[in-house]
Amino acid sequence: MSLFGDLLAPRYLVWLLQGFGITLALSAAVCLAGTVLGLAACCLREVGGPAARRAVAGFIGLVRNTPLLVQLFVWYFAVAALLPSGLTGWLNTPHTLDLGFGALHWPAYETLAGFVGLTLYAAAYIAEEGRAGINGVRPAQREAALALGLTPIQAFRHIVLPQALRIAWLPIVGQYLNTIKNTSLTMTIGLAELSYASRQVETETFKTFQAFGIATLLYIGAVALVEAGGQALARRAAPAGSRA
Amino acid sequence: MNRAVITDNLGYLLVGAWPDGPVGGLALTLILSGLSGLASAALGLILGIGLAMSAGAARRALVLGLGFFRAIPIVMLIFWSYFLLPILFGVSVPEIGTVVTALALVGGAYLAYGVAAGIESIGRGQWEAGLALGFGRWQVLRTIVLPQALRAMAPSFVNQWTALIKDTSLAYVIGVPELSFVAAQVNNRAMVYPAEIFLFIGAVYGALCLTLDRLAAALAQGARRAPRLSRATPA
Amino acid sequence: MRKLFAFAVATLLSVGAAQADRLDDIKKDGVLRVASFDSNPPFGSVDPATKQITGLDVDFAQAIADKIGVKLEVRPTNPANRIPLLTSGKVDLVLANFTITEERAKQLDFSIPYFASGQQFLAKKGTLSSPDQLNGLRIGADKGTTNEIVLRRDFPKAMVVAFDDTPFAFTALRNGNVQAITQDGPKLVGLLAKVPDRQNYEIPAFSISNDYIGVGIPKGETRLRDLVNETLRELEKSGKAATIYDRWFGPNTEQPLPRLFRIGEHD
Repeated sequence: MSLFGDLLAPRYLVWLLQGFGITLALSAAVCLAGTVLGLAACCLREVGGPAARRAVAGFIGLVRNTPLLVQLFVWYFAVAALLPSGLTGWLNTPHTLDLGFGALHWPAYETLAGFVGLTLYAAAYIAEEGRAGINGVRPAQREAALALGLTPIQAFRHIVLPQALRIAWLPIVGQYLNTIKNTSLTMTIGLAELSYASRQVETETFKTFQAFGIATLLYIGAVALVEAGGQALARRAAPAGSRA
Repeated sequence: MNRAVITDNLGYLLVGAWPDGPVGGLALTLILSGLSGLASAALGLILGIGLAMSAGAARRALVLGLGFFRAIPIVMLIFWSYFLLPILFGVSVPEIGTVVTALALVGGAYLAYGVAAGIESIGRGQWEAGLALGFGRWQVLRTIVLPQALRAMAPSFVNQWTALIKDTSLAYVIGVPELSFVAAQVNNRAMVYPAEIFLFIGAVYGALCLTLDRLAAALAQGARRAPRLSRATPA
Repeated sequence: MRKLFAFAVATLLSVGAAQADRLDDIKKDGVLRVASFDSNPPFGSVDPATKQITGLDVDFAQAIADKIGVKLEVRPTNPANRIPLLTSGKVDLVLANFTITEERAKQLDFSIPYFASGQQFLAKKGTLSSPDQLNGLRIGADKGTTNEIVLRRDFPKAMVVAFDDTPFAFTALRNGNVQAITQDGPKLVGLLAKVPDRQNYEIPAFSISNDYIGVGIPKGETRLRDLVNETLRELEKSGKAATIYDRWFGPNTEQPLPRLFRIGEHD
């Protein structure tokens, strides 16, 4: 039985779990930064001037219409080649920020490139989900707020946005799930996340089936948990009247 | 910027080794996305109807199966179907078949929910009217509900195609010579022009997907206008 | 549950195992499918003029196909996909600068070696001169290579960053993301020959392993293996192996390297 053979030795399981840890940490950082950036872009598009709107729309169109793999190649291989060499050098040197209770380490360039690429990608999609949410709020709501004497920005901030976020929440969770899956592409730029770890375990043990099998289960588990969590939050946040 | 690295390799980036060898590059990207687009549309339609019309254990099994294909990273699915299915079942699917199958399964799983939602969005009144006329459930679906639902869903089929064009770049991991893979080959040969090459193919993908995006938007407008038109025209 | 699954798989495998001899299949199909590198001159790379994969490995593959009397079909591979391509039956042979190791020999069979090399490094001039410096450096390697495994085992403090193929690792080196890259010496020599600003780089004169390169053959295909070995020995005897070598590493090439290894010296 060359397929299963013995179970993976503990040290390879540790590799896979370390890779999974990086996948989770990267996903969490990307979801957080992507949400902030995406919602900021979305708001800018609603209340900003024409130039800002065009810039946001252009950014979103560009990011959403090119493959993430190509974007990661651009961030890792191309941007580093285009930046002035002094800056690349600085980005590549390890910097440590001592916080007293612990030190913050500057991430390796592949982590940085992966984070930036994934965050912009997630932000572009989240911005669109946010916009769909805003479009889902009935215009009468905004008109009523304006009639009550709120400024357009106040009406947006207090009336439209909270409802829009409630509508957009589940689609945004969908983007979080995509982010978890998308982190697998960073293995092509040398980031040691779960897919990378599974290929490394395969290289050393040749237990292809187990290496990919465990990685697949971990991905599915993470995606299922986040989805369930997102839905639970949505149920709790739903206004009392709308509860089924 | 070195423009020669693009112009010298333009033919290879567009059609691969063709006509002296297999089709590759942008042409293969279009073929892969076209085939998987059709397959995922068919699959999404069947599974979506199944989702909307089934209940109980059958529905739960379907939801679980669809959930698997929505949860697995496409890269992993491609590894599974390319390297592990042959070991498991002794059947060897060629690279292109592997990619089309993997993308169609994922695309179909996403579309299925869109189709089911489209069917469910057609008002209860229409269902009841159809049933009252003595039609069977499937007859109502086929003659009344589906034509309307499909028209409303046309944009999401096109959007799915855009997503598939981007996803075909993942065929890179098993050496299928689509646009991203041949670009990587050219990059590996030229070695010092990654910016030129990857920005160029980014622009190619962008132009392609933006065009489809516009098409989807136009279709969406058409779909919104269509019911009003049909009401305006005397029967 | 796992037992049940394992049983199902075992049943399926026993069905798959009852296959005809691979050599007969190759003859029947009239095609020998070989995995070779597409981005690693002079072992295998896409010729810009013909758009076909050419190189030292491809020449040896062609000789084997000629011996069987069938057409050669070359499939591109990166280092990491070599073993899965072979074990999943996607290709009949792997000729892709494939280092013979005991571990790999449990999964597949190897021919006698047809090439020899050692694991070396490529770095910007002045960064690396001896193996002791490796611990503590960020070093680019290729996924799925013995280089990656040896480096991690023997220099545990070196930070290994693994890429899909050597040129990607080189781009990372050029951008300063890693301080050195590791590969078999001849492959690095071949790579450096293609780099426009090669005067900035060097291959320090030390190696951390001796590698023999062989043809990867599916496990248990004895007739196919015997035929490959016979072909390789004949190529050496007739002088064709030397001709192939000179075509890619001879004095008139971009990467001249003296031929020290003869096929059959090390079985």
